Amino acid sequence: MSKRKRPEPKSSSSMGGINEDEKKLLTLIRSKEGMGATTFEMKVGTSIQPTLITRAIASLKRNHLIKEVPNMNNKGIKHFLGVEFEPCKELTGGDWYIDGALDVDKIEGLKEICVKILERHKNRVVTLDVICSYFEKVMDKDKLTKEQTKEILKNLVLDNVIMEVKSSGLSEFSSTRIGEVCYKLTGKKSGGGEARAGAFASVPCGVCPHVALCSPGGVISPTTCVYFQKWLDF
Amino acid sequence: MAPTEYGIVYAVHIITVQFGSVVSKVCECLLRRGPLSSRDISRLAESEINHNQVKDILYLLIQHNCVQAFSVEPPDGSENKAITQYIVLFNNVIHRVRYNKFSRVVNEELGSQCGAVLDGLLSNGRLTLGQLIERDRDSENTIGSEAIRDSLEKLVAARFVERIPSPEPVLGKKEEGPAAKKRGAKAAKILKEPESLEERILEAATPVEAIRFPHIFKEDLSSSLADNDSNISEGKRKQRDVESSDPSDEVIWRPNFEEFIRRLRHKACVEIVKERRDEGCAIVLKAMLEVGRSQEKKVKTDKSVPMSMGSIYEEVIKTEAGRTMLQERVEACLEQLSASSSYLPAFVIETDDSYIVDFKSIISVAQKDELEAVIMGRYGKEAFRMFRYLSQEDRFVETDKIADAALTEKKNTPQILLKMWKDSYLHMQKLAVTGVYVPFLLWKVNKLIVSRQMLDEMYHASLNLSLRLTHEVDSEKELLLLPMAKLEGALKERVNKIKAKRMLLSSTRFKLDDSIMLFHDF
Ligand code: SF4
Repeated sequence: MSKRKRPEPKSSSSMGGINEDEKKLLTLIRSKEGMGATTFEMKVGTSIQPTLITRAIASLKRNHLIKEVPNMNNKGIKHFLGVEFEPCKELTGGDWYIDGALDVDKIEGLKEICVKILERHKNRVVTLDVICSYFEKVMDKDKLTKEQTKEILKNLVLDNVIMEVKSSGLSEFSSTRIGEVCYKLTGKKSGGGEARAGAFASVPCGVCPHVALCSPGGVISPTTCVYFQKWLDF
Repeated sequence: MAPTEYGIVYAVHIITVQFGSVVSKVCECLLRRGPLSSRDISRLAESEINHNQVKDILYLLIQHNCVQAFSVEPPDGSENKAITQYIVLFNNVIHRVRYNKFSRVVNEELGSQCGAVLDGLLSNGRLTLGQLIERDRDSENTIGSEAIRDSLEKLVAARFVERIPSPEPVLGKKEEGPAAKKRGAKAAKILKEPESLEERILEAATPVEAIRFPHIFKEDLSSSLADNDSNISEGKRKQRDVESSDPSDEVIWRPNFEEFIRRLRHKACVEIVKERRDEGCAIVLKAMLEVGRSQEKKVKTDKSVPMSMGSIYEEVIKTEAGRTMLQERVEACLEQLSASSSYLPAFVIETDDSYIVDFKSIISVAQKDELEAVIMGRYGKEAFRMFRYLSQEDRFVETDKIADAALTEKKNTPQILLKMWKDSYLHMQKLAVTGVYVPFLLWKVNKLIVSRQMLDEMYHASLNLSLRLTHEVDSEKELLLLPMAKLEGALKERVNKIKAKRMLLSSTRFKLDDSIMLFHDF
């Protein structure tokens, strides 16, 4: 999972100037690889006194044996990693994060490209390979791996914009292998049916944030509510 | 399934509007407390209603098929007479706002004369043939006694009308020893959920097929007295007081709601297939439903009986829309109906040489649409993805994994999930892990809980629409009394406005009721 940046320093030389507690901590921290260890975990994992732990951490840092990485999920919790490890996805947020924030613009942009590709193939399904090769050939920078392309497509499936179909080898699947995973747009655009608008969602109460508080004759009530007012304003 | 809180409030509202507040008190008492004797009702109902009044109200509610009387067989050797108890039929109360839907089914299928007879039964609850004829005689557009009889016969043959159930079925004692309980629990696991009291009572009250929908319609269909005893299917047949049987010899009829709901369910399925596949598939599905209908036992059937290609095609070409379809085309439609994707499940199951309609899967598609539309409208796009991901996974998933799968900002994910959880749209579990001091939160979509929550809110919304309608009309009461022809300018505009509001409110309520059926009755 986590790549090593440089060869592991020889333990004999690097461990030379540190004491027993520090050695224990360093072993624990290194065993956690890219996830590193929190101070809490160090307290639980070793039987060293809290004050000594703080001191040991400082010393290990000074000796460039460990580094401190913030956890982007739990701000305020510090993780200590061996210097030779890269922080893992759980700490950085993963491929789609830059500087600790989700790169929404990039994701949305990629999604748009996928939809455009599918639109061009109207009435036909598109295989993962076709989409992947687009991202490999056409985009010079920011090439996407196959995994990343899959993630983008999965996201569009969750948006209910595209669907995933297994090829049957017949008609619209004619140029695909049977059983191959293919994609196509949902809804009228691909000649298929639309999801319903939803009868409940089209009533003000269906999307009302106060539905739980609203009652006949109450402070928020159907006879006085502003949502109905707006809805019935002809 | 017990009615939800707003289900009860809505039912009470319907009764209040149609029968007044005293009747609704009795109804509410039964809805909230379960089956009671008439004495208990007069003691417990939240206002001064004396015993005689309670009895009158109960008769009225029985006449309108909203209440069923029953008694439980007293223990062996007991001298005590069984006490009559009353149970409110929640579904039948809610059906009262759907009468025009039922009426439309009959008008479309059997014509307006049958429609008129059905309307008579719907508005009076229960009537004999004689009463129907009398009613026709007094009406403006008389159709004559022959036509009434014919229509009634057709309605019974099509199962839209049935003979009334036994007035007071007697339930056998429930085996309740520990041994029986154990056996019961085991059997329930293998078979299905144990029947509710309401189901047991209805089953015991419903006459056997031949009596419920008699084939031969003789002048003197007068065995009703005998039936009242012969149709008790649960427990031992008991000699009962004649007092509880109907004194007249004539058979009493009532609308058979079960059949109406079945037809509406079928119609809804055809509609869903038309929207999600195409016209051709809808025609084929409609034909399949026609082929399998007579063999459906319960309304909420998950799957139809298997049907052959031949029988389906035969039915397709009987219909006007399907007359020109070639068998090839029907085969292609069936293939389309049995295909599945991440977007749509298979609607038809293909086995060897036959096809089965998967009702459950068709209905679930529409339920999902309803639900997801609410999620999208209320919580937004990110929540929509998370919700869809969790429904797809159908298991507990931790916050981070959800954010990864839905590609949503990790910092915001917990708040969005919490919001849905607070409104009961998600299920949450805390998982304490040793060594980590912040507990993991795990999330799941529990379909049963979500559907119930949604249903409750839909009852609530229907109630709100109805209350708002009354409010709007009340506020322009005087204006609406004026003759339209004499109105001009601003006044006329105001009347048009209120009419448009009324139209929107009632048509929305009508459509919302379709969705309520989707979650409750189908
Ligand atoms: S009546 Fe108004 S406040 Fe009440 S639930 Fe509906 S929209 Fe919300």
